[in-house]
Amino acid sequence: MRKNKDNKIRKRGLGAKASRNLGNTIIYIILILITLVWLFPFFGILLESFKVETRMQTSYLWPQKFGFDNYIRLFKETDFLVWFKNTAIMGVATSILQTIFILSMSYVLSRLRFKGRKALMNFMLILGMFPGFLTMILIYKVFYDFGLTANMAPLGLIIVYCASSGMGYYVSKGFFDTIPKSLDEAARVDGATRFQVFYKVIMPLSKPIVIYTILMGFMAPWGDFMMASYLIHENSQGMNVAVGMFEWLSRANMNLNYTMFCAAGVIVAIPVVAVFLALQKYYVEGVTGGAVKG
Amino acid sequence: MASVKLTNVKKIYGKDTVAVQDFNLDIADKEFIVFVGPSGCGKSTTLRMIAGLEDISAGTVEIDGVVVNDLQPRDRDIAMVFQNYALYPHLTVFENMAFSLRLKNVPNDIVYEKVTQAAEILGITDYLTRKPRALSGGQRQRVAIGRAMVRDSKVFLMDEPLSNLDAKLRNQMRAEIILLRQKIDTTFIYVTHDQTEAMTLGDRIVIMKDGFIQQVGTPTEVFDMPLNLFVAEFIGAPKMNTFKTNLVCEGGKYYVTPYGSKIEVTGKKAEMLKSKGITSGEIILGVRPEHFVLSNASNPGAIPCKIVVNEMMGSELHLHVLEENGDRLIVRIPTVSLDDDQRNMLTYGHTIYVTFEGKVMHFFDKDTEQNLLI
Repeated sequence: MRKNKDNKIRKRGLGAKASRNLGNTIIYIILILITLVWLFPFFGILLESFKVETRMQTSYLWPQKFGFDNYIRLFKETDFLVWFKNTAIMGVATSILQTIFILSMSYVLSRLRFKGRKALMNFMLILGMFPGFLTMILIYKVFYDFGLTANMAPLGLIIVYCASSGMGYYVSKGFFDTIPKSLDEAARVDGATRFQVFYKVIMPLSKPIVIYTILMGFMAPWGDFMMASYLIHENSQGMNVAVGMFEWLSRANMNLNYTMFCAAGVIVAIPVVAVFLALQKYYVEGVTGGAVKG
Repeated sequence: MASVKLTNVKKIYGKDTVAVQDFNLDIADKEFIVFVGPSGCGKSTTLRMIAGLEDISAGTVEIDGVVVNDLQPRDRDIAMVFQNYALYPHLTVFENMAFSLRLKNVPNDIVYEKVTQAAEILGITDYLTRKPRALSGGQRQRVAIGRAMVRDSKVFLMDEPLSNLDAKLRNQMRAEIILLRQKIDTTFIYVTHDQTEAMTLGDRIVIMKDGFIQQVGTPTEVFDMPLNLFVAEFIGAPKMNTFKTNLVCEGGKYYVTPYGSKIEVTGKKAEMLKSKGITSGEIILGVRPEHFVLSNASNPGAIPCKIVVNEMMGSELHLHVLEENGDRLIVRIPTVSLDDDQRNMLTYGHTIYVTFEGKVMHFFDKDTEQNLLI
């Protein structure tokens, strides 16, 4: 009698495990579809870059003939290597300087209590909401006077990227706020100066946020077009990849350079993807860690 | 090893929030002093001012005769154990303990010798290669103490070091701190809210309330001769019973008349009342729970009470009783002297008679709450 009742209960609907599996399967199918849609342009660019039979945009995606012609042309016939080098130098310099500025600023705002601290934080937060290009004309004027345009544009751009970076303190300050203050105090009693506390105790504990900040600094010059094109003019030797490659997409050049543009896109993506893949674990921790407490 | 002197030390937060007021204290070399008091009484703030982690609003702090008000914590030659251990999570136990020595660029072999020696004393040698997260609460606390030990500093500060541990471990660590103190002969300043820790550890105890020192004395002094009602109630567990009653002086003898009973003041206390010239009048009487004894209705000094809570502690029974006027008293009865019938009587709802001896009372002024005998 009891056994029958148990069977009835069991037969009603799916078991918990089966229902969970079904749910997961549906979710995975949806996620795979979204991923495919999202990855499609990337694969498209990759395939186009190996297309040898034409230099134009075509109605089909799969190359009729695979080859490295576009890549060879890229390095032999254009200044791409110079642009790549400029961008890489800017990326490395910006990431180092920005990290120093942002982390120092965040640590100070997290740990020291001084008059006007809150007002300063609010002021910077509001100031950061204005788009950067509002100041473009003035920046150009000043940089032009100092000779930081055209050939010297990469140096000018590094200054632009780093100068106000301290205002992006909020994510890392949020992270530092989660580190107990008693660690600072213990280290100070143990004989450390404020700076030693910062680099011997706080920095090792903040790996995720340090890496997040480095990544953000490294990424900025790779994608910047607006400010870069403004300072660089048409000087090929001072261009970054975004400005340089944009020239190929003008109405006149489009049909001559489309596949080469794709090849350049693939090469530009390599360092960024490599850095991201290597550090993605910390990146996620950095973003979410900072979000815990603001 | 050093003496510490605090003169008129004051701490004000913001414009007018006073945390510590006129703190004056001389701490002798190698003395173990305990700051005790309820939350917010200013004990941790005072300790942090000595450590240099808080600015001093007024007054001076001297360590070994040198005013340290404007010195950074690292220049004060102090070691501190924090309530939450404050171990560096990214370093191993060894490196945690060696941290201060590394900052001073002490040679490796000396670092090794000092750390292993401290680890041996604290019984944490097996954990030296572990990270703090792989340790239990008690082990972490030992590491925190070890980190302070290797410094050989002048003053050893401890800010509620046991309050994050469970009761059993706390008792064990308390005993270990007493042993540790015998091994490292230095000046200790220990902050706690637990009067048991204060009584068992301190050479002298500083009892604080609302930023003011209430009394400074040895454990025996503060227990036997509390300066005021606050100290009387704070020191001792369960807390002292206090109630308003009359002190009557008749024919050269003193009596108290709590709840209609009449109990003669005897011994040293009677002599002290006489020598102070205290006359009849209303007072606050204090009697510790352990000084109550069971009595019977025929005793003129017996107070009838009804049991409302009985807490069996094993070796003793804590009875919360309601006296006829509704005052609640706590009575502590050793179970060893009770037979089965008596035990059965000492349960919820029963009426019992209690009294106390005349030599164990404390007398406080009903207005100022100061001890009348001091």
